[in-house]
Amino acid sequence: MPKVVSIHSYRGGTGKSNFTANLATAVAMQGHRVAVVDTDLPSPGIHNLFSLEPEQTGKTLNNYLWGESSIEDAAYDIGANLGLGESGQLFLVPSSVKADDIARILKDGYDVRLMNDGFRNLVKALKLDYLFIDTHPGLSKETFLSIAISHILILILRPDKQDYQGTAVTMDVARQLNVRKMLLAINKVHSKLNPEALKQKVEETYGEPVAGIFPLSEDLVQLASEGVFCVKFPDHPISQEFLKVAQRISEA
Amino acid sequence: MSNIGDLQALTSSIAAVASPFRRYLADLHEKYQSVNDGAVADYIPELALAKPEWFGICVVTTEGQVFEVGDCDQLFTIQSISKAFVYGMALEDHGREYVNSKVSVEPTGEAFNSIVLDETTNRPYNPMVNAGAIATADLIKGDSGTNRLKRMLDMFKRYTGRDHDINVPVFLSEKATGHRNRAMAYLMLNFGMVGEKIDETLDLYFQQCSILVNARDLAMLSATLANGGVNPVTKERAIDEHYVQDVISVMLTCGMYDGSGEWAYRVGMPAKSGVGGGITAIAPGKLGIGTFSPLLDVKGNSVRGIHVCEDLSKDFGLHIFNVANPEKVLDDWISGNGDLDIW
Repeated sequence: MPKVVSIHSYRGGTGKSNFTANLATAVAMQGHRVAVVDTDLPSPGIHNLFSLEPEQTGKTLNNYLWGESSIEDAAYDIGANLGLGESGQLFLVPSSVKADDIARILKDGYDVRLMNDGFRNLVKALKLDYLFIDTHPGLSKETFLSIAISHILILILRPDKQDYQGTAVTMDVARQLNVRKMLLAINKVHSKLNPEALKQKVEETYGEPVAGIFPLSEDLVQLASEGVFCVKFPDHPISQEFLKVAQRISEA
Repeated sequence: MSNIGDLQALTSSIAAVASPFRRYLADLHEKYQSVNDGAVADYIPELALAKPEWFGICVVTTEGQVFEVGDCDQLFTIQSISKAFVYGMALEDHGREYVNSKVSVEPTGEAFNSIVLDETTNRPYNPMVNAGAIATADLIKGDSGTNRLKRMLDMFKRYTGRDHDINVPVFLSEKATGHRNRAMAYLMLNFGMVGEKIDETLDLYFQQCSILVNARDLAMLSATLANGGVNPVTKERAIDEHYVQDVISVMLTCGMYDGSGEWAYRVGMPAKSGVGGGITAIAPGKLGIGTFSPLLDVKGNSVRGIHVCEDLSKDFGLHIFNVANPEKVLDDWISGNGDLDIW
């Protein structure tokens, strides 16, 4: 059965898009058919990691939500950009980065039912094994929807008081929405913190498992979102950690 | 506390969007959108303006969950569906015995607009044929036509949870062309079955048929009856609980014009249709269905609406006399529990 994986964080800047791109790629590299939908309509960005330039982009998620195209017409095969080869398939449905389009979304909103139907159509049309949803930070109707339809919800947090509190709020909502499985990922962990102790503390606090711990990494920053880290540096410890989470996803 | 209520309202609405039951409805919608049998009613020009592609399905459970697919905001005139609910109001105004002395509850097998009364009692056969509906409208209390209409609109608001208006061009057209209905009314006046305010009552009847509703309203109407007369979302009582069974039983026996017998056999959900394209159907204790698609069969019932109700009844065992285990368990599909992974 196809699985929906939503990646969310309460606060911005947690590394959500980077995490989503790497995890989706790692799952595709295991030989699966994977698509990523950028539902961060107010501040889209994940297309950069997949080297999909706005100039090469025709239809976007926006066009689908405005009834101007089917969602599969807004899906781009980005496997070749990443050099995935024959092993798996990776698609991206980007959101528009045009200021006018963003303004229209902010002004008029959109119908969450249509978004839900779009996810469904995409899974069917592309015969997906996994659908990854990159979300806008914070809570909104749209994040509620992506949480509600997820088979797996991954919440990203940094070791920071603002993130701790916000994650608790998000988890309350997720439980109300009967989310089937939740995983936590801790990102940007300072080298002076003991990862094992941190993992234990977070699991105790939230009562959900920590699937991965990622250090605050200069190597990742250096890449500056120009590509997917775990493709460029497959042997790096960070890439290994992504593979571990990917393994966990496919076993779930 | 209001914050907690808001969160629950939002999570419940999002859960309805994400539930497997809505996916089921979306599949039904896709399956029958391509069915183009039937024709849009055109006995008055306003109805002929309806677009054949319009198609909405809404289901409201007695728990208050709302599932919508397609054109559920599109307004259309309620037409004959109003008859069932106005009948409930007449019962509240006068009691069962008096109403029964004016309108029988016998299915006719005749067309809805036939000019025929029971030969021994001079009563119209049932409140769902035009003659019976006019006699029923005559029973609605109020000191003026305006006041009687306002009482009706207030009643519909209690059922649906929102304000309703009249489509004035439809009302005027129905009134201008409604000679057959006037003939029936005067025949009943001749037998003393309706009062002297016959022109006011005819206006009221044409107005009640011209009330604007959408598919969601139709689902709320039937869900309220399914819930014992209390709107499951607003929790407001719309009709005295003693008369819920009266309304539902005439819907079962007479609600689908002269297709009622086959409907009761095949679908087994008390229902009422209108030539505007609406159908409202009840699974007592469980849910209400509202469908809207203006393509009508020769009996005046919405073709796509019939398909949708048939499938829902069959798949979820909603036939009121069904005792077999249904193919699909409604609660599982609504809650998303039970490992239902349909795409």
